Amino acid sequence: MTDANKPQRISTIRRRSLLLGAGSLGASGLVSARLGMPYIGNAAAAEPIKIGMIWAKTGSIVDQSEYLAQGGMLALEQRNNTLLGRPAEIVWLDEPNPQGAQQNAERLVGEHKVVGMVGGALSSFALGISAVAKKAKIPYVAANAATGDLTGKSCNKYTFRLQPPVEVHVRALAPYCGEIGKKWYLLTAAYAFGQDIKKAFEAYAKANGITIVGADEVPVGTPDYSSFILKIRAAKPDVVIGGVAASDLTTFLKQWNELGMRGRIPFAEISVGNTDLWGVGPEAADGLYTLTWYYKNPNNPPEEQAMAAAYEKKYNRPAADKAWMGWFGMKSLLDAIEAAKSTEPGAIVAALEKWQVKRGDLDVHYRDFDHQMVNRLLIASIKPKITDKWDYFDIKAELPKTQGDIDKAFGSQAESACKMDAL
Amino acid sequence: MLDMILSQAVNGLVLGFLYVLIAVGLSIIFGLLGIVNFAHGAFFAVGAYVALVLAREFGWWAALLAPFVTGALGMLVEIVLIRHLYGKEPLLGLILTFALALLFEAVLRMIFGGAPLPFSAPRFLSGFVEYGPILLTKYRMFVLVVTVAALVAFWAFLTYTPFGRIIRAGSRDAEMVGLLGINLPVVFSFVFGIGCLLAGLAGLLAAPLWTVTPSMAASAIMPAFVIVTIGGLGSYVGAIIAGLLVGITIAMTIQFQPEWAGAAMYVLMAAILLVRPRGLFGEKWERFE
Repeated sequence: MTDANKPQRISTIRRRSLLLGAGSLGASGLVSARLGMPYIGNAAAAEPIKIGMIWAKTGSIVDQSEYLAQGGMLALEQRNNTLLGRPAEIVWLDEPNPQGAQQNAERLVGEHKVVGMVGGALSSFALGISAVAKKAKIPYVAANAATGDLTGKSCNKYTFRLQPPVEVHVRALAPYCGEIGKKWYLLTAAYAFGQDIKKAFEAYAKANGITIVGADEVPVGTPDYSSFILKIRAAKPDVVIGGVAASDLTTFLKQWNELGMRGRIPFAEISVGNTDLWGVGPEAADGLYTLTWYYKNPNNPPEEQAMAAAYEKKYNRPAADKAWMGWFGMKSLLDAIEAAKSTEPGAIVAALEKWQVKRGDLDVHYRDFDHQMVNRLLIASIKPKITDKWDYFDIKAELPKTQGDIDKAFGSQAESACKMDAL
Repeated sequence: MLDMILSQAVNGLVLGFLYVLIAVGLSIIFGLLGIVNFAHGAFFAVGAYVALVLAREFGWWAALLAPFVTGALGMLVEIVLIRHLYGKEPLLGLILTFALALLFEAVLRMIFGGAPLPFSAPRFLSGFVEYGPILLTKYRMFVLVVTVAALVAFWAFLTYTPFGRIIRAGSRDAEMVGLLGINLPVVFSFVFGIGCLLAGLAGLLAAPLWTVTPSMAASAIMPAFVIVTIGGLGSYVGAIIAGLLVGITIAMTIQFQPEWAGAAMYVLMAAILLVRPRGLFGEKWERFE
C-alpha cells in the first residue's frame, strides 16, 4: 500500500486490447445486422458491478480499518464475487482525513461509477462521505461511525448507519458507571465522537445526580497521557469515562497502567474495538466497555458464526468486532442490491429500508425515518486473568433487553433530529 | 494548585527527555551531514518493532540490541541511497527520505499487520514512587537515565575522541578533511548510523509507553522536527533544551488548557522563530547558506 490512493483492484486496459475489443464489438454488431440476427451483446452485462469501500489506509484509524476492510471483502467473497449474476468487485480507497474521505468518495462515484459505498472509520470521515452520497444520490452504509449527527441532524435518504449512535451506547453503559460511584471524570477526544460522548454522559450525570469532577478534551494522536492522568489522579473521581478511540485508547491504557492507576480508579468507555485492547496487552488491559459485537458471544446467530469461522480460517486470527462491522455493513448493501434486482440507487435505498435479519428475538433493520440500524449492544469487562491472547472480555449483558427498552434507547421518531429528505 | 504545577513540571521534564532522545538523532544527521531525514520517525518505529520481536523471541534483555540493528539498517540505507545525495539539491534528500518513511511503514504493515501489538516494560521496571504531589514511574526514570547517559556518551565521543574530531571537521569542511587523506564516506555512514541508532533507542524506550503500530512514526517525527527547529538546526545543545521546553509546555498546557495541548508545541515554535529565526542555538552554516 505504498500508494495510499491506489484502488485495490483496477482493470488496466491497454491500447491494443481496447482496439481489439472495439474492433470485435463493431464486427459482431456489423455481422449481426447484416445477417439479420438479433444483437444480444450487452456492455453492461460484461461490466463488473463496482462497490466502493472507503477505509483508512493511512492515519490514526488505520489499525481498525484493516479489519473493517477485510470484513467487507469477505462479504463479497462469500457470494463468489458476483451480484445479480454479474461479476462484482470492490474498489477500496483511502480516507486520510475528512477532506480526503470526501474527495475519494467523489472519485468512487465519478471515476469508478460505484453503485454503493461502505466506509467512514471515523465520524468526521463518515459525515464527509455522507454529504457526497446525498449529493451524488448513491447509497452509503456507514459501518463504524457513531456520531449522532449521521442519523440525526445530518441524516439523508442515501445514508444508512450500522453502529448504534453514541447516545445508545451511553444509555447502556452509564447505569453501570453510576453503580460504581457518583463522581465522574470525562476524558474525551476533541472531535465529533468524543464531543458526543461528553455531551451524552454530562446529560446523564445531570439527570441522575452525578457530579462531573473534571472533563478534558484530548487531541487525536496524543502520544503521552501522563499529564492528563496526573490531573485525573488529583481530582480523585470514582470512575473515569473515556472517549478516545483506537490506538489513542491503547496508548492511554498502557500509560494508565504504567502510572499505577489500573485497579485504583475504574475506567469505562463506550464502543471500543477488540484491536484497541489487544494492543494494550494482558498486563495493562482494564475497564468496563460497550462492544458492538464479540466473536465469543454464544448468542451470535449461525450466519455470523460461519463468518467468524471463515475469517479465522482465512486470516489465522479471530474476527475482531471491526471485521464483523465491515462484513455486516457490506452484507446489508449487497443483500439490498440483490433484493432490488437492480443497481438503480433509488431501488437499493428502498431495499435497504426493507432489509432485515434475525438475531435471536430481534429483527435487526435500518429504521426508515432516520436509517439507523436497530441492534443490541454488549456490556463487557476485562477478564480478571487473560489466558488467551485474543479473548479479553467477559460479557456481562446484552442490552437493551426488551423491544420497549430498545425503542427507548434508540429514541422515537418524534425525538429524532433527522428530517429525512426524499429520493 | 502549586502542587499540581510542580507535579506537571516534573512530569513535563521527564517527558521532555524522551522527546530529546527522539529529536537528537535527527539533529545529528542534519548537523553533520546536511540531510533532513524525514525517515527518522520510520527508524524510530523500526527500533520499536525490532525490540518487540527480540523481546518476544529471546526475552527483554535481547531487546537492547534493537538500537544497534536499527543503526546497522541506517548505515545500509546511507551506503545504498543517501550517499549519492551529498552536495546535491537538499530537496532530493527530503524527497528520498520521505519515500523511505512511507516504504518502511508499508513494510512494517505487511509483516506485522496494522493492529497494535502489545509490548510492556520489564517487571523490574514496573511500579512508581510518590514524593508528595510528584508521581514518577520507575520506567520513566529509567528512560531519563538512559537518555542522559546516551547524550553524555555521544557528546564525549564527539569532543574527546580523534574520530569525533574528524566527524566535526568533516561536517564543516568535507573537502579539506578529504584532502588530508581521511576516508569521509566511512565517517558519514557511521554518523548516519549513529543518528538511526538513537532513533532506534528512542523506539525501544517508547514502545512500552506508546502504541506499537506501523503508524507510530507519525507520533515521533513531528515533535522531533519541532524540537530541532526550536533548538536550531544541527545544534546538539539546542535539541536538548528545546526537547525539555516542549515537554514542559505540553504538560502545562494540559493542566490549564487541555484542548490546546496538540497545538502547544507549534505555538511555542512559532513564538521562538519570530524572535530567533534560526532557533535558540541556530547559527549560520557556510555549507548550507
